[in-house]
Order: sequence, then structure tokens, then C-alpha cells
Amino acid sequence: MSEIKNFCAILATYLIPPISVILIDLLFYIPRSSDFWNFTRLVPFYTGVYFWLSQRPDAFNGITAFILGTVADVISATPLGINILTFLFLYYWGTRLSTYFNVKKFSYAWLLFALTIFITIAFKFLITSTFHRSFVPLNQTLLELLLTITIYPILTCYYIWVERHYIHLEERYEKI
Amino acid sequence: MKRERVLFLKENYVLRVLKSFFLAGLFIIALLLVLVHKIDINIVSGVSRSVMFVVTPLIHVASLPAEGLGYGYKKIAEIMYIHEENERLRQENQELYLLKDRMRALQTENRIFKKLLHHIDIPQTKSYTARVIAENDNAFSNSLILYLGNAADFIKSGYAVVNASGLIGRIEIVSGKYARVTLITDINSKIPVVSLKSRDRGILVGNNTRSLNLIFPPLMAELHKGDILVTSGSGGGLPPDIPVAKIKRAGVDTITATPLFSPSELEIVKIIAYDVMPDEATAKELQ
Repeated sequence: MSEIKNFCAILATYLIPPISVILIDLLFYIPRSSDFWNFTRLVPFYTGVYFWLSQRPDAFNGITAFILGTVADVISATPLGINILTFLFLYYWGTRLSTYFNVKKFSYAWLLFALTIFITIAFKFLITSTFHRSFVPLNQTLLELLLTITIYPILTCYYIWVERHYIHLEERYEKI
Repeated sequence: MKRERVLFLKENYVLRVLKSFFLAGLFIIALLLVLVHKIDINIVSGVSRSVMFVVTPLIHVASLPAEGLGYGYKKIAEIMYIHEENERLRQENQELYLLKDRMRALQTENRIFKKLLHHIDIPQTKSYTARVIAENDNAFSNSLILYLGNAADFIKSGYAVVNASGLIGRIEIVSGKYARVTLITDINSKIPVVSLKSRDRGILVGNNTRSLNLIFPPLMAELHKGDILVTSGSGGGLPPDIPVAKIKRAGVDTITATPLFSPSELEIVKIIAYDVMPDEATAKELQ
């Protein structure tokens, strides 16, 4: 019985990060009258991927980033693979940076996120432009980047709440 | 165990190398998906359809409270401005009565001319109404997700999606009771159009902004700022004469146009079922 319970706890640990990201993103996809919302549709994905890989590397891996990328590609009608590549790239850089810098202060973490997301969106800009053989609008890309960085603290509060309430694995630090 | 207060953390290098190989594998799969999508969209559309089948009902459920709030707000606004609206509708009604008589006369005249010229009409089209449950309008893609309900069985990829202003986009994928629409502003969208005034043809190409480019216009095209572009019906994919965009700038090298619809008014849309493409056997015979 305890084995089943343990298995369920481990499974929940792996499922909670992607589910929390998808659930909050569904709210961002609701049609709203303001055009401002159009540039925030994918923000929960970027923020979520970065938050979970930096805070809970034990519960978030490349496969989760791959699954989230597939969902993002389908609901945003981007060619299948573009967001998968982007999230894997974000996962790669995020893991590198968050592993090397053991950041405690939130402002530094925010700065690190800004740097990671800048590299990631630049990468996405390049692959999307290459795919369509035409540059996607730079001003809108920059707006999306700025909004992603700005909204980071709000969404992080939500992810912290999810982590505190639903994940209880404390041996994570040994794995890092 | 408590985390040590150090700036640089030690890592298990063997685990890191293994992780890198695993990540490289995922990167290669993603890259292959992009390439397959580029070569043949039909193979990956199955994957898209399956994921959409799972995700779209969730989006629909999430959008229900917002829909309710929006409906309430709209009703309150309607009650507040009911007198002004009544006055405006009365005036509009008077103008429409005059236009109705004129239209009837023109219809009769048109019918006689068509008979004289042995004109073949375009096939009668059916239309279905659908609700927008999600929208995505950013630098990388412009799309909508529609809830089709019971009409889902009659909707196919490629059908035109319109609202009161004109053409919005085309159905890309139908999955279950939901459909994804590629907007005319999307970078993948290419719509054959004709100028309503000069009848000059061209292809209207989206670029993920509110500015569309008109490519391949005739050399001596008489296109001016403010001209309305409508669907030409070339290729048989879309019904003709649906308003699409208004010319914003008609330069020597580039002609740009603005779509007639506004993203904020996309709540309920109409899908036009237009089937003029021949079946496989007829297409072979024609070739």
C-alpha cells in the first residue's frame, strides 16, 4: 500500500509542474477585448518552464519541456516543433545558468530570468524567421519579451504557491 | 537537507553528460518535427489534431466564466444606452426601407441580365455560426480556436471564416467539436484578392502584423489608398466577393492593406461551407 502511495506521490511530483503551467495558460487564452493580452499568451509557458527548472530540477526535465512545447505549438498554431525547440533551448540555458549561479535574492533571479528569456526569444525569432523565410515583426517580439519579463514576479507567486501546496519532496537539494 | 550558502554549486559531471545526450536527442526530434512540417503538413496534422482534441475542451471550460462576465457587462451597457440605440435604429430602418426597394429592382434586373448572358451562378453556400473560445495574436502566429458544436461534422479544412466586417481567416484543423482558424494576418496566410474598384488582382500575404502585403499585382494596376480588396475566388478555395482589406498605402514597390476586422470584435463568427473543388475522379478527368 505504501509503495502505491509512494508511486502516486512521485507521479504527482512530475505531473504538477506541467499541469500548473497549462492551467494558468488556459486563462491567458480566453478572448479579451484588449490587444495587450495577445502578447501575453505564451508568457506562463516561459515563466513556468524557467521557474520549475530552476526551483525544482527534480520534478522538471527535458521531456516535460518537450510536452509543454507540443501543447504550446498546437494551441498557438505555430508550426509543430518551433515551441518545442524554444522550450528545450530555454531548458538548456536555464539549467546551465541556474546551476552555476546559486541565486537567493529574488531581484537577481529576475535578472537571470530576463537574460535567459532574452536569449530564448532571440533564438525563437531566428528559427521562426528561418522557417517562414521572412522576418517576423521585431517590435512585437520585443513587446512580448518585455511583457514576459514584467509579468514574471506575478506568475512566480502562483508557481511558488503550487510548489508549497502540492509538492513535498525535500531531498531535491541532494540531487543538484 | 539545507542548501549550502555558496555561489557556485558542484555538479555530477557524468550525470551532466548523460543529460546532455538525452537533451540532444529531444532537440533532434523537435528539429525533425519542424522539417516534417515544412515538407508535408499532413503527417504532423494528426499529432496537432490529437493534442487539440485534449486541450481545447479545457480552454472552453476556462473561458466560460469570462464569457458569462462579458455577457453581463454587454447587457448592462445595452440597457444604459437603450434610448440612443433606439433612435439610431429608427433612422437606419428608414434608410433601409428606401434601399430595400432599390435592391429589389436591381435584383430583378440582374436576374434578367444573367438569363440573357447564360451566366452560371456560383454554388449555393451553407453557413454555420461558431463561438471563438481562444485567440492567439502575436509576433509568431495569428490564430483562433472555435467551438463548432453540432456543426463540427459539416466543417472541413479550408472553409472561409467571416464576421460582419469581412473575411477573418480559414479553417486549418478540425478536431472533435473544435476548429483552429489561421487568420488572414498570419504569416502563413495567402489570399487571392481583387480590387473592388479597378478589378486588379493580387495575393494578400500576412506577416503577423495588422499590415498585409499585396504581392503580384498587375504592372499597370490602378490601386489607390482606401480601395477595398475582396476575395477573387481564384483557385476555388474561397467564395468570391468577400471583403478582406482596405488599401493603406499604394507605393511603387509595395502595396500594403489593413484587414477590415478588428481582433477585439471576434466573438461570434460565421463559417462558409464552399465546395467547388472537384472530387478526385473528376479532377483526373479534367486533367
